[in-house]
Amino acid sequence: SISAQNPDISGDRQSGQDVRTQNVMACQAVSNIVKTSLGPVGLDKMLVDDIGDVTITNDGATILRMLEVEHPAAKVLVELAELQDREVGDGTTSVVIVAAELLKRANDLVRNKIHPTSIISGYRLAMRESCKYIEEKLVTKVEKLGKVPLINCAKTSMSSKLISGDSDFFANLVVEAVLSVKMTNQRGEIKYPIKGINILKAHGQSARDSYLLNGYALNTGRAAQGMPLRVSPAKIACLDFNLQKTKMQLGVQVVVNDPRELEKIRQREADMTKERIEKLLKAGANVILTTKGIDDMALKYFVEAGAIAVRRVRKEDMRHVAKATGATLVTTFADMEGEETFDPAHLGSADEVVEERIADDDVILIKGTKTSSAVSLILRGANDYMLDEMERALHDALCIVKRTLESNTVVAGGGAVESALSVYLEHLATTLGSREQLAIAEFADALLIIPKVLAVNAAKDATELVAKLRAYHHTAQTKADKKHYSSMGLDLVNGTIRNNLEAGVIEPAMSKVKIIQFATEAAITILRIDDMIKLVKDESQGEE
Amino acid sequence: MAAVAAPMASKPRGSKAESFVDNKRREDIRFANINSARAVSDAVRTSLGPKGMDKMISTANGEVIITNDGATILNKMEVLQPAAKMLVELSKSQDSAAGDGTTTVVVIAGALLKECQSLLTNGIHPTVISDSLHKACGKAIDILTAMAVPVELTDRDSLVKSASTSLNSKVVSQYSTLLAPLAVDAVLSVIDPEKPEIVDLRDIKIVKKLGGTVDDTHTVKGLVFDKKVSRAAGGPTRVENAKIAVIQFQISPPKTDIEQSIVVSDYTQMDRILKEERNYILGMIKKIKATGCNVLLIQKSILRDAVTDLSLHYLAKAKIMVIKDVERDEIEFVTKTLNCLPIANIEHFRAEKLGHADLVEEASLGDGKILKITGIKDMGRTTSVLVRGSNQLVLDEAERSLHDALCVVRCLVSKRFLIAGGGAPEIELSRQLGAWAKVLHGMEGYCVKSFAEALEVIPYTLAENAGLNPIAIVTELRNKHAQGEINAGINVRKGQITNILEENVVQPLLVSTSAITLATECVRMILKIDDIVTVR
Repeated sequence: SISAQNPDISGDRQSGQDVRTQNVMACQAVSNIVKTSLGPVGLDKMLVDDIGDVTITNDGATILRMLEVEHPAAKVLVELAELQDREVGDGTTSVVIVAAELLKRANDLVRNKIHPTSIISGYRLAMRESCKYIEEKLVTKVEKLGKVPLINCAKTSMSSKLISGDSDFFANLVVEAVLSVKMTNQRGEIKYPIKGINILKAHGQSARDSYLLNGYALNTGRAAQGMPLRVSPAKIACLDFNLQKTKMQLGVQVVVNDPRELEKIRQREADMTKERIEKLLKAGANVILTTKGIDDMALKYFVEAGAIAVRRVRKEDMRHVAKATGATLVTTFADMEGEETFDPAHLGSADEVVEERIADDDVILIKGTKTSSAVSLILRGANDYMLDEMERALHDALCIVKRTLESNTVVAGGGAVESALSVYLEHLATTLGSREQLAIAEFADALLIIPKVLAVNAAKDATELVAKLRAYHHTAQTKADKKHYSSMGLDLVNGTIRNNLEAGVIEPAMSKVKIIQFATEAAITILRIDDMIKLVKDESQGEE
Repeated sequence: MAAVAAPMASKPRGSKAESFVDNKRREDIRFANINSARAVSDAVRTSLGPKGMDKMISTANGEVIITNDGATILNKMEVLQPAAKMLVELSKSQDSAAGDGTTTVVVIAGALLKECQSLLTNGIHPTVISDSLHKACGKAIDILTAMAVPVELTDRDSLVKSASTSLNSKVVSQYSTLLAPLAVDAVLSVIDPEKPEIVDLRDIKIVKKLGGTVDDTHTVKGLVFDKKVSRAAGGPTRVENAKIAVIQFQISPPKTDIEQSIVVSDYTQMDRILKEERNYILGMIKKIKATGCNVLLIQKSILRDAVTDLSLHYLAKAKIMVIKDVERDEIEFVTKTLNCLPIANIEHFRAEKLGHADLVEEASLGDGKILKITGIKDMGRTTSVLVRGSNQLVLDEAERSLHDALCVVRCLVSKRFLIAGGGAPEIELSRQLGAWAKVLHGMEGYCVKSFAEALEVIPYTLAENAGLNPIAIVTELRNKHAQGEINAGINVRKGQITNILEENVVQPLLVSTSAITLATECVRMILKIDDIVTVR
């Protein structure tokens, strides 16, 4: 009835089914890239960027971030992975795979003349039902949370990573680290600020020689060799300014007529810093950390006083140190009278501060901090790539342990939740007499992609395993006495089905819920698009 | 160069350095204009209505926008043809006049143009068509006004209903139960009893913050800033019984001009300079402290640092909370809300210029932090809304949708009439105008009939977008209206014709009338153009 002519715009416009198919294809391509890295037997990717830096990783979010995807719809998926990384910290690969599968199936439905809006409402219903089902039927409360479930969660998260061989060892390390930074804030809430866990990477020795260190580690050495290696008990001053020769600010000119005056001005410049240092030492400080520099000339005074001075400390580290030791980060010495003084109350304290050698690096360790505890994980490994990947894996595991502690509930891993939901939703779909029925059935099928990919990556017969899995879950949901079957999942090493809850393959429930929510939201966002307008870059400026 | 230009002119699309090439002179300019304007209207047609789809626009600088809002789509599309640009402007003016119905107005204009095209082919003079359209439009407004239902501002339910009608077509439609009452309350709270007809939407501040879901969106009774408290020197982050000063000067040492400089010739003077700097700042801070002020909002300054490390340190010691980089255009809103006066110079810093609040607090939200000022004494008539969203695209769209909903409520405040939605008013207009056309004489009657038919595009498109059979639906709708059910409309959710007022699908009268008037005027203007002259 109305002509489908394109308006004159400086760019391309596509609409209707073409756009949807194209968007879905782009998402599919993204998902295919990360697909093979899912699960305990997933493989790693080697990424080389434009300056030749190499990253070897198994982490979905990292892979996608490095890809620099350009297609706008595919970008939605990349953002999705980042969102999952931020909100949960793990499950980034799963969320992308599920979203892409949902889209693929939705596109097939649209081709069969189902209106996208019907599919969208179907997906939304399915999502809500899934989350409800997980929370009502599938979760297991971890009462009082002993260490065992925490370690298991960490192990599950690590199982797909490089360090899976030593997952027992690292899981213990991670759980201990998280538990040791536990703190209660003013409102009485218990928090686990995993940012307080400092991860240091050092070359050499094997991964198994990594260890947890009580105390905060600064990745720099003392400023001068003459300083003591160990100070105990330590009074720590945290400074945020230069201890260099005082310079006049811009706009102040020094004009002298007499050469002797010049000498005096130079002397004065040096003395100002000297006075400051004396004030510090007088207040009782014997460890001085600054984010800025310290002149060699100034170092001499610290050496004489037998204090440790450390320069160029990262600001972030400084903040953690200040928090842990109870020190105040001092930006200037000025007081309310307009003079310069240093208040001893600004000093933090720790049992001891020592410099140690780890591999080839000198590291300052602050042990026995007063107000809250800080820990450092020292990672050892053969090369940079391995250390980087270990750090990423540990970050995921730390997040997972934290989430488990916060949410208190876990679900079985290894495709158990997805299969259970799939069976449940399929049944739900048949009870609905509306247009949403088809969409919900497809949603149910789409979830099976997780166990399928898991099995394929492990080189097992996906069809047979998934069929078996579904059979178990069907029994669990229909027979009241077989309820425990609901935690049946894949055993990818032996290629069989087992009770993953008992086998210790568990994940925090919150992670699963978020995966389903985020993936559905992203799929809906892309599905709703039926028009794409791409404007060309305005490059004509320079011509003529 | 000429050789390059020639093939470009013959193939305007797809080349990089593209500009509008006037190669249509040979054809009738009028038809060319109508065609390109219709193409624009076509482009937004699929996003009309509650089941409309979204557009993804990837702009020249790589930014991606996903939206359903007609004005935004057209604004970002960068159309080149001058007549097509008029439609973009049309959508903008609907946005400023009513705030909602930006897609509707363009779709109606497109349909009117199509009818005009056939009228022109039949040899009717453009001026006659234009005048008839003007007449028909006037009549249409009368009919709409007769259909409208008066609404009182105390009738919160009706207001919420119309706000949710507007929200239902957006990406955030699932949150309409949350956002609609929010929009209504926000608008109602800023109405000045002395000027009850006028709502200034600038009194409603929408603050976007990434993270969480749209569910977490809420109004804040007080002020919200997407800012952190400056605490480089460890100043307070929570102040109770706050006395707030909004200052437009800087707390930093004065800078010398480029030409001037301070000359030091003696080492003792060096100490003096440093000391003077400290005393200068200390003096300012003591003055501030003396008024009892404990929260400072500092306007952004490009000339000088608003605060230095030293002044922050002093402020922290004086236990004064500092929020810096408040945008210049926010100052008016802030002072109005806090019921305080902005202070432009330290000499004018007096206690009576301060605002009072129970609590100023930095709250952490997921990744970032925001600042909340609550419990403001003698708070001005303003409202702040904190919008959350899981990604930037959703967040932006949520803001646009909320803006539309606010506009809808504003329309109802300035013109307190409601009208049914779901295509009911358009089909009723079409019926009544069609009947009226029969009693008119000559060409006019013919043109008014075409006008009447053009309005059917709205129900037609609504049905089409919802995946229903448009012809069957429009015919049934016409039938219902002929039987006198003037509120029968398309119920998109159920996929059938029902009394749309009972389904709570309502919109402000102003949106409909403004859409029809603006669309008609735009079409009349396009009709009257018979030549394009490109001036370089």
